[in-house]
Amino acid sequence: MFNASDYMAPAELGRWRNLALGVGGICTLILFAVGFGMDQKETALRAWLLGFMFSCGLGVGGLGILILQYLTGGAWGVVIRRTVEACSRTIPYLLLLFIPVALGVKTLYEWSHLENDPVIQHRGWYLTWGGFVGRAVIYFVLWGVMQYLLNKWSANQDRSEDYEESAKWLGTATAFSGPTMVIFVLVVSFAAIDWTMTLDPHWFSTIWGFLYVAGWALSCFSFAVAILAYLSDKEPMNKILGKRHFHDIGKLMLALVMVWAYFNFSQFLIIWSGNIPEETVWFLARMKNGWGWIGLILILFHFAFPYLVLLSRDVKRNAKYLAIMAIFIMILRIVDVFYHIAPSPSTTGQELHFNGYWILYLLGPLGAGGIWLFFFFRELASRPLVPVKDPFLENAIEHGKGH
Amino acid sequence: MAEFDTPTELVDAARQVRDAGYKKTDAFSPFPLHEIDEALGIRRSILPYLVFGGGVIGLLTGLGLQWFTHVWEYPIIVGGRPHFSLPAFIPPAYELTILLAAFTAVFGMLFLNGLPSPYHPVFNVERFALATREKFFLLIEATDDKYDYEETRSFMESLNPQEVFDVEE
Repeated sequence: MFNASDYMAPAELGRWRNLALGVGGICTLILFAVGFGMDQKETALRAWLLGFMFSCGLGVGGLGILILQYLTGGAWGVVIRRTVEACSRTIPYLLLLFIPVALGVKTLYEWSHLENDPVIQHRGWYLTWGGFVGRAVIYFVLWGVMQYLLNKWSANQDRSEDYEESAKWLGTATAFSGPTMVIFVLVVSFAAIDWTMTLDPHWFSTIWGFLYVAGWALSCFSFAVAILAYLSDKEPMNKILGKRHFHDIGKLMLALVMVWAYFNFSQFLIIWSGNIPEETVWFLARMKNGWGWIGLILILFHFAFPYLVLLSRDVKRNAKYLAIMAIFIMILRIVDVFYHIAPSPSTTGQELHFNGYWILYLLGPLGAGGIWLFFFFRELASRPLVPVKDPFLENAIEHGKGH
Repeated sequence: MAEFDTPTELVDAARQVRDAGYKKTDAFSPFPLHEIDEALGIRRSILPYLVFGGGVIGLLTGLGLQWFTHVWEYPIIVGGRPHFSLPAFIPPAYELTILLAAFTAVFGMLFLNGLPSPYHPVFNVERFALATREKFFLLIEATDDKYDYEETRSFMESLNPQEVFDVEE
């Protein structure tokens, strides 16, 4: 058995935590000061939405991976569990980050102005402020219950007397994860449709939710790799992590890069083949006026480049290289959601033009992401970095050392 | 060929054989041993590169085939789209990429392993049947540059094996 107090997070994480809060707080202040002081409310709120969606990718994505690793088992799940658990415990704070979006619906979403539009009328209460915010609260309650129960059982496991009791809690979490995975994917799908797809209220795509299921999982895996790589040469994780753990998680990243490309291409191919004006409008807006370059960047650097690099076994087995790749992917994840949000029709009814204020799109992810990171580091430090009483921990450590 | 009782003995012996400079060696065990590749000094397989090459050839074949049929040999307008409609060409090109990569992986693996191999002299040793059950065997081939019957045999005996066998062709 392992001693819980030997496996707490190293103290230097506290420095990163404070740095994250400082950067996040300052960027948020500048973002809203410029947004409201210089009458750039729409750009500022869209930038915040971008940051919020990115933070959701890490927090809610963490819950998804937590459920996933209980279902699949395996050594990678045991070593990544506490990191994604800390991600999932940030979900209540994500509700805090959601407040500007909820208050800014009139500025953000075109549907809030189209009372006379027959399509919007047909949507009924679904596209009203009450419906939008009410649903968001339901999503957060469902995610909150999922993460609360899984984290509670995991904490119970840490207090177990013996392997038998510990295995019982593991069994409970695993049994809960099966049906919960189904609900989780549905909730993420609904949330993604609400928060970003309705930016263009006439357009729809049935695969939209899955773009975010795959995207958020990829975001969180990349984030976890960066965190684990940082911890891997420090006490106590240097006793736990081995090359093979990174190899396994690297393979999952490669798979998700491909899934992301597959879903996006499916969406594009079907709309391109159908060639119906009400569907093609979304892609047309994202191909003209230079937006096509962002699309090309996504194809090349969100898919082709990480795909080819992650094929290499040596990259996947080297914590440092894999972490660099992971941070690169996280940046492209932000570009991907930026591509969803920024070209959407403006609520002012005017054509959007690139201007200097678009630098706010950088502050959004930095602000929301920084605040999120603060809560993440706080949660990460509150429990041992590995499930010390887990019956499979020893096996998982052994697995990492293998060839 | 030497017989051993435990996997640890086999791996230790394999390391000594490698350090003694023997190249044409092989080990037999009832289950996979992670350390044996390194212990025998086996270099990493070139198979991944072959598979990558197979995939690239598949991709180019897929695109080339569609370009040939739709643009070069029998151009016909479908749905008002250009002759070379890349989005529509991607799924078949992708399928061919996977197909050729998978074929290269399977047949390349068989070829690099020297399979199928209907006859192998080690089966002339009766006790070798135990390699699928509980015993571990280490083989030095007579074609090895360093091979010398007397010297190799006494060297193998120095490894503390259960027994040393001569494998007849």
